[in-house]
Amino acid sequence: MARLAVENVSVSFGGIHALRDVSFDLESGAIVGLIGPNGAGKSTLLNCISGITRPTGGRVRLDGVVLSTLPPATVAGRGIGRVFQHPELVVELSVRENLMIACHRSLGYGLISELLKLPNVWAAERAAARRVDEVLDRLGLSESADLTIRNLPYGHRKLVDLGRALLMDIRFLLLDEPIAGLNESEVAKLRDLLLRVRRELGLGILVVEHNMPFVSGLCDRLVVLDLGHLIANGPPAKVLRDPKVMASYLGEDA
Amino acid sequence: MTVATDIARPRRSLSFGAGALLLGLCFAAACAAPFVLNGYGLYVLTLTGVFALVALGLNLLTGYAGQISLCHAAFFGVGAYATAILTQKAGVPYLLSILAGALFTAAVGAIVAVPAMRLRSLYLAIATLGFGVVLQKIIFEWRSLTNGGGGLALSPPAIAGYELGASGLYFLTLAFVMLGLWGAWNVSRGRTGRALLIVKESEIAAGALGIPAARFKVIAFAISAFYAAVGGGLFAYLVRYIHPENFSVGLSIAFLSMVVIGGLGTIGGSIVGAAFYVIIPELLRGIKDAPGLVFGLLLVIVMVLMPQGLWGLVRRLGRRT
Repeated sequence: MARLAVENVSVSFGGIHALRDVSFDLESGAIVGLIGPNGAGKSTLLNCISGITRPTGGRVRLDGVVLSTLPPATVAGRGIGRVFQHPELVVELSVRENLMIACHRSLGYGLISELLKLPNVWAAERAAARRVDEVLDRLGLSESADLTIRNLPYGHRKLVDLGRALLMDIRFLLLDEPIAGLNESEVAKLRDLLLRVRRELGLGILVVEHNMPFVSGLCDRLVVLDLGHLIANGPPAKVLRDPKVMASYLGEDA
Repeated sequence: MTVATDIARPRRSLSFGAGALLLGLCFAAACAAPFVLNGYGLYVLTLTGVFALVALGLNLLTGYAGQISLCHAAFFGVGAYATAILTQKAGVPYLLSILAGALFTAAVGAIVAVPAMRLRSLYLAIATLGFGVVLQKIIFEWRSLTNGGGGLALSPPAIAGYELGASGLYFLTLAFVMLGLWGAWNVSRGRTGRALLIVKESEIAAGALGIPAARFKVIAFAISAFYAAVGGGLFAYLVRYIHPENFSVGLSIAFLSMVVIGGLGTIGGSIVGAAFYVIIPELLRGIKDAPGLVFGLLLVIVMVLMPQGLWGLVRRLGRRT
């Protein structure tokens, strides 16, 4: 059982405080929704966890080991997967080739073997291709495997992005607005998929999402940010009735 | 969720059969060339091979990793001088000198990559332009080693006591081109090539996939400089007189043009681009007064009609067969 701990994290950009003293935990197997009005600091917090933004105070730890001083690629290597709001895929490559990119860390061969295409390269590439096939199957994208991303609908691109994270032996998954731009059936499918990977892989998942019915239906717990402060942390039913949370959302609407 | 299959076509490159046929025909023609061509023709073809090697390496850097370099002429020059100095002054065997020179230049390339970690697009282009000028100046000023503006004259190269004539050097170049093609092909379809493509697309996305963008930019510069230096080592003995002026920014721009005309991010395009750049002006010599004009216009026409480069055309023809 792994634990991702956000401890007193603060971020300020030249006098503007994007996050102030935010703390919460994420255990493996838990799905936590990170919500709050625009500008609350949700994406900044995801960036802190994945090593893109360095906290100006506090730290992020994975099972006690500090992550927040490491570069993004190392954080990813430690098992923190990140899926961005807009999938950044190589559009001229196929779905399968894009997924192969995510096998980078599991392919152990060096540059010299690669240049000469030694037998260990063949074996590693075949093993990676098999893992890609499994993920394609899990995503329900087997039939689109050889389409270029350019020819792929937006909803499927987001699935490919999720598939890349799943190929990385991750323990925690950070999702930024996963259902933005998806249609109803795609949303239902994504929900099932997330529940399945939580059950089968024991992933801890942190979701930033604006769609309340989706978040409250999916998550075990909600963490609410407002102007960089954590204002609530608990089960969805309780958090959504919290006067402070209601005020922050009403305030935004007014 | 069904995909509209009529608009969504699978990605197709050259079919295996067409590719093998094309490669086989080119190889047969290349082997027959020394027996058909006159001395000058053979020189032009060898030069094409030399430039093709540089273009192969530059395409990995620019087409795959998305890093613009305007100092490849300098890498080419460092490789040429290193090979020449090692053979002529230190008596190191020719092939070993090429390899040592290329490894040295790869290290220089890795140093040039340091600013590339912070800079992108045009800013990087200008920084590499500066590096190119500095390297050329070092070659010029280090007179004790390079003979500065006097240039270096070289005696014919030899391998294992056997003196290489024009066709010997041609076949050596051909062998390096085949090796270089094979290596570039493998890298482009392996772990490194894929990492370079995602670094080009988005360094943040690369980081999220556990791929350190900075390290792969250094690797791309080093591989690319290695290729350029092997080309330089062959070039030195093709022309047998090298001078710092050979390796100016104009040549760097020519290398970049070869890659773009051949097709960015394509391995075969590097060869086609180099061939276009070297051979077309030779064919145009017959047109009196205006070979430069016609060649310049051809560059414009190719870019307008084939933004994917000449290799895009080869691919389209290959698919029909």
